[in-house]
Amino acid sequence: MTGEFRRQNKIALFLMMIGLILSLIIMLLPLYTFRAGVFTKKSSNTFYGDEKYLAARAEVEEAAREFESSGFPVTITEDALERTNSKGETTSLYTFTIEQTFGRNLFAFLRSPLASGHVFRFLLCTAVLTLLFALLGLAGSIDTHPKYLPKGKAFFRSASVISGVLSLLSVPVFVMLNNYTFSRKLSLYRDELIEDGKEAFYTKLDSFLFNGTAGDQFESMVSKLEIHRSGLLWLLLPALLIMLVAAVEIRHGAVKNTLLRMAMYVFIVIVSVITVYPYFVMLITGLRSNAETLDMYFLHILPTEWMFSNLADILHRGVARYLLNSLMVAGGATLIAMLCGVPAAYALARMNFKGKKVFLGFVIVSQMFSPVVLLIGISQLMNTLHLNNTIVGLMLINAAFNQAFAIWLLRGTFISISPEMEEAALIDGCGTVRALTKVLIPMAAPGIVTALIFVFINAWNEYTISTVLISTASKRPITVGITQFSSFNMIEWQYLFAASLLATIPVVILFMSIEKHLTAGLTSGGVKG
Amino acid sequence: MNRTKWEPYVWLLPSIILVAVFVIFPILIVFRLSFSEISKSGVIGGFIGFQNYVDAINLPAFTTVMKNTFWWVVSVVGLSTVIGFIIALVLNQAFPGRKIARSILILPWATSLVIQASVWNYIIKYEYGNLNNILLNLGIISRAINWRSSYQIEFVWECFVGIFVTIPFVTFCVLSGLQSIDPSLYEAATVDGAGFWSKLKNVTLPLVKPSLTVSTVLNIIYVFNSFPIVYTMTKGAPANKTDTMITYLYMLSFYERKKGPATALSVIGFLILCVCASVYMIGVMRNEEAA
Repeated sequence: MTGEFRRQNKIALFLMMIGLILSLIIMLLPLYTFRAGVFTKKSSNTFYGDEKYLAARAEVEEAAREFESSGFPVTITEDALERTNSKGETTSLYTFTIEQTFGRNLFAFLRSPLASGHVFRFLLCTAVLTLLFALLGLAGSIDTHPKYLPKGKAFFRSASVISGVLSLLSVPVFVMLNNYTFSRKLSLYRDELIEDGKEAFYTKLDSFLFNGTAGDQFESMVSKLEIHRSGLLWLLLPALLIMLVAAVEIRHGAVKNTLLRMAMYVFIVIVSVITVYPYFVMLITGLRSNAETLDMYFLHILPTEWMFSNLADILHRGVARYLLNSLMVAGGATLIAMLCGVPAAYALARMNFKGKKVFLGFVIVSQMFSPVVLLIGISQLMNTLHLNNTIVGLMLINAAFNQAFAIWLLRGTFISISPEMEEAALIDGCGTVRALTKVLIPMAAPGIVTALIFVFINAWNEYTISTVLISTASKRPITVGITQFSSFNMIEWQYLFAASLLATIPVVILFMSIEKHLTAGLTSGGVKG
Repeated sequence: MNRTKWEPYVWLLPSIILVAVFVIFPILIVFRLSFSEISKSGVIGGFIGFQNYVDAINLPAFTTVMKNTFWWVVSVVGLSTVIGFIIALVLNQAFPGRKIARSILILPWATSLVIQASVWNYIIKYEYGNLNNILLNLGIISRAINWRSSYQIEFVWECFVGIFVTIPFVTFCVLSGLQSIDPSLYEAATVDGAGFWSKLKNVTLPLVKPSLTVSTVLNIIYVFNSFPIVYTMTKGAPANKTDTMITYLYMLSFYERKKGPATALSVIGFLILCVCASVYMIGVMRNEEAA
């Protein structure tokens, strides 16, 4: 058996070396090509074709030949700036630029002071360390079963896996940082959209692109900088992945399972990031200044100044009132739904009577009715009852349309509690009402709270019926109220999202508190009917 | 115990009254209105047979809206069921951070649709949207992308948001189904030499099927009735090309003052939902028989 591990580990080690060599070869290719000015010269005041012009042109061509000898093709461009002097003659100021396309391999980033340089050094280190740690972890224990390794060996083998993961992750970060530095950040400085740190950035870029020779000419030399990345760079990923797989094999032996787990983690992380993203946007946009929410240049991800005053502003613009309305609508709806739902659920859980099946079926079916498809009927009914444009009307509608769900959850809870205690209370001479309130309700408290919160949240988040029924601004619930910040001609995004934050945070907390009970209630109600 | 015959009905009475007045009554009203003449100002006239239905079907946008509604329901329910199912499978594994993942993944369920839709509406703006901002500043793209260049793409975005907010419901329905599966079944399957796919097909799927049916049918109804996403993101523009039935009947009835065809549409929608409801009921009955 031991021979088997030796063989497997040897194969893995061999693969890992292949992966590293492949990576190094890829890094040697000129994957990045730049097109930039490499030399500029300004002529003195001159006319096209006169002596001064020719002299300057000759000098530039001389320089161009020198650059061409390096093997990369060059082109010369000239820009004329015309001006009229005091005698009325038009003269020109010529700027000659020699442009050159040159390639750089990844090792050029090894000495680069740019951020991508740090990442590349990290990438290279972790890739090499993957192999080094694997060697250290294997030395002297190449025959051992991965489960019974001595502590030190297990540590080195784990470190090898972690290094492998890190080097793999560095690749996209490296690419992103290069994109950012050479096109986005440079253009932000060039278009004078940001100022801070310009000198330092230019010095670093100069030292990378021109070995620091550009100096004062730097700005005109990079004025048309183009960067092109070869797709071959992505071959680094499979090469590094080979190393990682080998490292996993050496550490755990069971590659397939471990890789599956890793893929699972990646999946969950991606899904979680997408899920949290809109909340993140709500937070950073809600606490921004108006100008920054409409920033066409996309200068900053985070607000430059956190505007907590937005919260105060919206409270003065009616949001306090809307929140109160929502609280009343949701609270009232919950109360009504519970007052009607608890007795009904009790009867359905504990008593046998004619028509019980019919009623249960009716409860399930009425869950199918959404108020939205019945909008017209509801608004007509509310007109007749004179409940149009009233908070009480909203309470009743929300209570009615959540009735099915409430009964569903409550009945499930009541059924799960044994009836013995109540029966004892009944024998002791308590009425049914007392048995319910004194015995069953305290015991069913978690289920009742779940139903209560669920109805509350549904009513709090309701939007459609409220838009139809409520026409007075001061009676709006928050979901309708926030739309006042997004009228057709002007959207105040910062206020819209600040109000959204206030409307969201409390219910999210409530929801998380019942998450566990809710899932249990959902299916027990749904499957058992 | 000596309960009187009518006692259970007393207990049920408040609930019955509430639902009868505010759920059943509007249904009757909508049915009656759909066969009545309604003037532009909302005055209800006499019986006109199926005229409102004929008018509704002859509306210029009718076919587009029905097509949209079909794609909206099919894509949102279909994809959210598949994705939600996969997420539930993963969440059912034990791994560090699972509790946090569960709390995060339920978030969209707890948030008002109008708020979710507003946020996504801002995220995908071309001129100043947050998606372009983030991608540019992370160096993933080098030029702002127009994420909503045509109404077809806008409709796809609406479907995306629909899927996004629907996934948690599926996930948590399936998850509770998964958690009720006896682990010894899997052990037995492993002993029999069953692999991952075989276990999924022969053990997991049949046992999760009831939860999956519940969530699918309920989702068809929720998604069909969903109003805020389309209304917030495009308002059905341009020219009802991104409208679904619900947003369209809202526009018809409260903006264009065509209450007659709107009520006819309501009834059509209601009947479609009733078909779904009966399918669901049959499913529940079967489960009860099986249990």
